[in-house]
Amino acid sequence: MNIIIGLINGMITSATPILLAALGGSLTYYAGIFNIAMEGMMLGGAFFGMLGSYYFHSWPIGILFAILGAILMALIFILFAVVLKMDEFITGIGLNLFSVGATTYMLRQIFKVKGAFSSPEIVPIPKIDIPWIKDIPVVGEIISGQNLIVYLTLLATIAVSYLVFKTRFGLRLRAAGYNRTSLDTSGVSANRIRVWSLILCGVLTGLAGSFLSLGYVTLFSEGMSAGRGWISLAAVILVSGNPTGIALISLLFGFTDGLGLFMQRSLPSQFTSMVPYVATLIALFVYSVRLKKKQTI
Amino acid sequence: MADIIEMDRIVKIFPPSLVALDAVSVKFSKGEIHAIVGENGAGKSTLMKILYGMQPADSGEMLYNGKKVKFSDPGEAILAGIGMVHQEIMLIPQYTVWENVVLGYEPVKFGGRLDAKKARELVKQKIDEFGFNLNPDAKVEDISVAARQKVEILKLLFRNVSVLIMDEPTSVLTPQEIPQLFGELKRLRDNGHTILFISHHLEEVLELSDRITVLRKGKKVGTIKAVEATKAGLAQMMVGREVIFDSIRKNQTAGEVLFETSGLNYTDPDKRPRLIDVNIQVRAGEIVGVAGVEGNGQLELVNLIMGLIEPTSGSIKAVGEDITRKPILEKRKRVAFVPQDRANMGASIAANIAENVIMTHHRLDQRFTRWAGRILDFKQAASFTDEVRRKFDIQMSSGEAVFKSLSGGNQQKVILGRELLLEAPFILLDQPTRGLDVGSIEYVHQRIIDMRAQKRGILMISADLEELFRLTDRIVVMHKGRVVADLVTEKTNVTEVGYLMLEGAAYEA
Repeated sequence: MNIIIGLINGMITSATPILLAALGGSLTYYAGIFNIAMEGMMLGGAFFGMLGSYYFHSWPIGILFAILGAILMALIFILFAVVLKMDEFITGIGLNLFSVGATTYMLRQIFKVKGAFSSPEIVPIPKIDIPWIKDIPVVGEIISGQNLIVYLTLLATIAVSYLVFKTRFGLRLRAAGYNRTSLDTSGVSANRIRVWSLILCGVLTGLAGSFLSLGYVTLFSEGMSAGRGWISLAAVILVSGNPTGIALISLLFGFTDGLGLFMQRSLPSQFTSMVPYVATLIALFVYSVRLKKKQTI
Repeated sequence: MADIIEMDRIVKIFPPSLVALDAVSVKFSKGEIHAIVGENGAGKSTLMKILYGMQPADSGEMLYNGKKVKFSDPGEAILAGIGMVHQEIMLIPQYTVWENVVLGYEPVKFGGRLDAKKARELVKQKIDEFGFNLNPDAKVEDISVAARQKVEILKLLFRNVSVLIMDEPTSVLTPQEIPQLFGELKRLRDNGHTILFISHHLEEVLELSDRITVLRKGKKVGTIKAVEATKAGLAQMMVGREVIFDSIRKNQTAGEVLFETSGLNYTDPDKRPRLIDVNIQVRAGEIVGVAGVEGNGQLELVNLIMGLIEPTSGSIKAVGEDITRKPILEKRKRVAFVPQDRANMGASIAANIAENVIMTHHRLDQRFTRWAGRILDFKQAASFTDEVRRKFDIQMSSGEAVFKSLSGGNQQKVILGRELLLEAPFILLDQPTRGLDVGSIEYVHQRIIDMRAQKRGILMISADLEELFRLTDRIVVMHKGRVVADLVTEKTNVTEVGYLMLEGAAYEA
């Protein structure tokens, strides 16, 4: 039983940052932006989150800093890709590389350490115990006692879904992606919508970053986003941006991640850490085969 | 009637030196259908884009309801009450009709939530008010082009525009759909809307509009009442000289056989016979027309000749040699080819004009290359482009400009110039004047006649019977993949050919 609870909690923990970043990617996907910069935004968020929490001894300020840091990254993307009309792909690559370089540089300059920085001064984001529920056996151990960000992620999934499909902003957002000239000639600036989608993406990837440095662990290490932004991109593309689909894919990935850790008992870790990526490839393959079948019919 | 819009001495110059509009002044009255006609490149669309705020004018003024206005984007024009329906339809295919119509003006409930019920209701009301026969819940990708156009109009009416600009609205419609559109436009006019209608189809203009403004090469020729206008008169105003709609052939005896298909059969991959025993001969100094309702084997015939598909049996001979399965370059030494699809087959629209002009030439003519064909000689290309421009009267800024910046008529002239300047004795023309305006058509026809005088052999596929009767010596009629008649043009008439096209058998009456 403990193993199953451990696996499920592991799944939730590894799915959270991916899901948050992918929700941000979902918004830009619907806006018609080829945004591959979630990785960089998340890393920026993780660094600034740690910075805020460290200096102000406060996790809420940490979260705020994480969001602002990721928005800063998003603004750079906006400047190049939307205002200066540079290629989105190149901008994304540039931003991801810049983020690794900039956070590493700042880490070394500010804290004079290489690799990772941890300190008791960094206040982590608390876990939330839900009264009543926490006392229920098994279920309580899963539903209660998760990190605050985990609950926020659940809310974010519902909110993004609502925003995209039920609101006026959502109608315009998807219009910007489907046919931007049509939106422009309808009297709504497609570029404004794109800018907003990127800023919201910044908010969500910032939350994802704060979970990395203040939730999952309480430290910042160089390149700690470790490909999660790319996995979130794969999730977005795989389900064409649909938030519910993204949630499922993220959970699947989280599950395989946890499974990999579990399998470390019997297999070398080099192999087990491949599991999530192999699972991603298999999912991609299954998806493309299904798509092909649909097209031939 | 009161003037609703007054455009005063509008000037538009496209750098470096193309004067698109040269001090054009027009007045549009409230509640009229006002057609703006002119050849491709005459400045019709540019004038309307300036009015609609899509392009800024270089000088000149606009008065709208007596007040001086200047729209810096279409959004402002729409707010002021001027809307434009573009040639290419700008809707979101994945959205329903009502979603498309309300986009940008959506009713909302608390918290930015889209009030779908109210939006749908409002759109339904507008549909009923204007009698548009549309289903508000249909997805735009599932409805016909004509219906999409209605959605575009509805979208503007939903924004309460009083002036509607229609850019060649009939070009995307089938002949059956046009009267319906005209009925709707007339109803809108009777409701007090003003409609500005861009077109180069003279019959349509005469049928629909109240007044007509004619533009030629960026200048206004005049504004006349439609009841006082005639087709010939308008054509003359458009091109600046008399346009002859009659036959322009001179008598000439045909020479040796240049092109011949014998027993050509083609069965498509789905095992449907598309061409059955097709035998066509073209002699030097002869124009042979291929008539037929579209989809009766013309496309397959062209593709077979050019080697895009292989015949099931039979052969194609050009200039005394069997070219049925020859590589394309060998074919191109004997066959010049003007395809009907300018953008996909006739040219590379993203390449520049000079690059398009030297296509094929650079493989066949030594002077365009150095180092055994490995390096292109752009000097030669530029001078050749200039030669084509002069010989074919092409309006363009420079050979470096991208091909797609040319108007449709000029694109076709570039392709025609390239092909006719090949030394190939046989010329295959597939709908050479489709989508062109009167002046360009006349010009293209004259060039085709010149080729005939040079003793070249020409096979011309055309859906336009008037054109076939004007140019050809003989007409072959295709019906369900067969050549059902081979007629001498002078000894037949439109009725007979039309009957053969539909029935496939000689008419007896």
